[in-house]
Amino acid sequence: MSHTVEIRDLYYRAGKNFEIRDLALNVPTGSMYGFLGPNGAGKTTTIRLMLGLLRPRSGRITVLGGEMPRESPRVLSRTGYVPEQPHLYLSLTVDEALRYHSAFYTTWDWKWADELLGSFHLDRTSLLGRLSKGEMGKLEVLLVLAQRPELLVLDEPTDGLDPVVRRDVLTALLEYVSQQNATVFISSHLVHELERICDWVGVMDRGRLVAELPMHSFKSGIKRLRVANAPTPAGDTPFVLLSREPGGSGVETWVVRGWQAPMTQYFEGVGANLRDVVDLDLEEGFVELLRTFRVPRS
Amino acid sequence: MFKAVLYTQWKWTRLPLLILALAAFALPLVSARQMTPDAEYWDAQGLLQSLEALGAFYPLLAATAGLILAAAAWAADHRGRHVYALSLPLPRWHYVLLRLGAAALLLVVPAIAMWLGALIAATVTTLPPGLHAYPTTLALRFALAGFIALTLFFAVSAGTSRTAGYVLGAIGVLVVAQIAVGLFDLKLQILETILYQIYIWPGPLEIFVGRWSLFDV
Repeated sequence: MSHTVEIRDLYYRAGKNFEIRDLALNVPTGSMYGFLGPNGAGKTTTIRLMLGLLRPRSGRITVLGGEMPRESPRVLSRTGYVPEQPHLYLSLTVDEALRYHSAFYTTWDWKWADELLGSFHLDRTSLLGRLSKGEMGKLEVLLVLAQRPELLVLDEPTDGLDPVVRRDVLTALLEYVSQQNATVFISSHLVHELERICDWVGVMDRGRLVAELPMHSFKSGIKRLRVANAPTPAGDTPFVLLSREPGGSGVETWVVRGWQAPMTQYFEGVGANLRDVVDLDLEEGFVELLRTFRVPRS
Repeated sequence: MFKAVLYTQWKWTRLPLLILALAAFALPLVSARQMTPDAEYWDAQGLLQSLEALGAFYPLLAATAGLILAAAAWAADHRGRHVYALSLPLPRWHYVLLRLGAAALLLVVPAIAMWLGALIAATVTTLPPGLHAYPTTLALRFALAGFIALTLFFAVSAGTSRTAGYVLGAIGVLVVAQIAVGLFDLKLQILETILYQIYIWPGPLEIFVGRWSLFDV
């Protein structure tokens, strides 16, 4: 499997309280990679390092085959980036912003830009400073899509947008990806949104990558089990026990990772009774994963 | 690419640029009014002295033009924390050169306005014997002084507020040092020496001092 983004042994420090340490990350080519993490986890910093906006203290970053930040102009010419905060020049009109942006990209597609302007209902003559948050979000996505990039890096692109705008933006993105086989790296804390569109997921917390795996593995591998007569301690489990909480009538709730159906035999072996296996959605899995990461179990 | 950058800076500075151009156009004409002969006789020396008071406005205008164009070149990027600029597919030095080049090109507007004003002033003024008009030299000097001011302010405003703080801090330290030296009655002129090095040839700001006049011997 080839990777559009590869990060190895990355170390970056900003101030006294924040660092990214030993970060290794792989974004498969053609995937929609959801980058999850709570606020302050280091998602935006990782993205800025990835795109050469910041320089790491050590480690290696390769994007679209180019080493960053050394080859950033070549890489950025093939990358569309929507940052977390609006960054465009507010005194320009929509039309002027398009003309300015297009001047830097040889792959710029005016025809498609015009189509997107129509479908996003953006007025060419509007000043950027007077656009609503939703309109600004749509314009930013329009700009990166009309560049025809091979890699789209979107940092919380739908944060604060209403559901209608969010749908428009995501539809345009998905259309583009299906046509171009582009790679999308999308950071968000809107877990359900990523669950719908992403096929890979990376979870970051406190400057470290907690997990990186295909979405289906992430979703199917984390389960909530109801266990009667649970052993204390659990012993050598074939799965990763993320948490256990006592319930009524001697039935405990376990949250486990790496679950597979044949593992029910474990409970028979320790004299416990597995009553129920419940699928967790991505958000619940994400919360449990972070909880385990923050309180390591012996 | 340059055209796009130039357009943004034109849009951000067009109003102050218009005011600067009007001032640059008017200044030589105001100078020319000083040259109206006294009814009795022409006193070239006296006229030149009367022009010197106005002469201070030329370098001041050049410095103001440099400051405005430099600040405008970076203001929008500062507001966006330079994220947009850094995510564009070109080396950082290239982007800086584009912004500086665009600002320098816009500086031509007040310089041309001054040249036109000076040409008109030179044409309509009757000069006493021994005096000549130098409209082109004056406009070129204005453009060069403006460019030097632009590069200085451009460098300062390209940096972070911390960089600007260091520059101001260094100046503050010099002023405090000079005051301290004065209190102890030492014969040491720190500021004067530094200013001398900067403003007297071959100092980089020499162009701002000396006589600025459309009319000279």
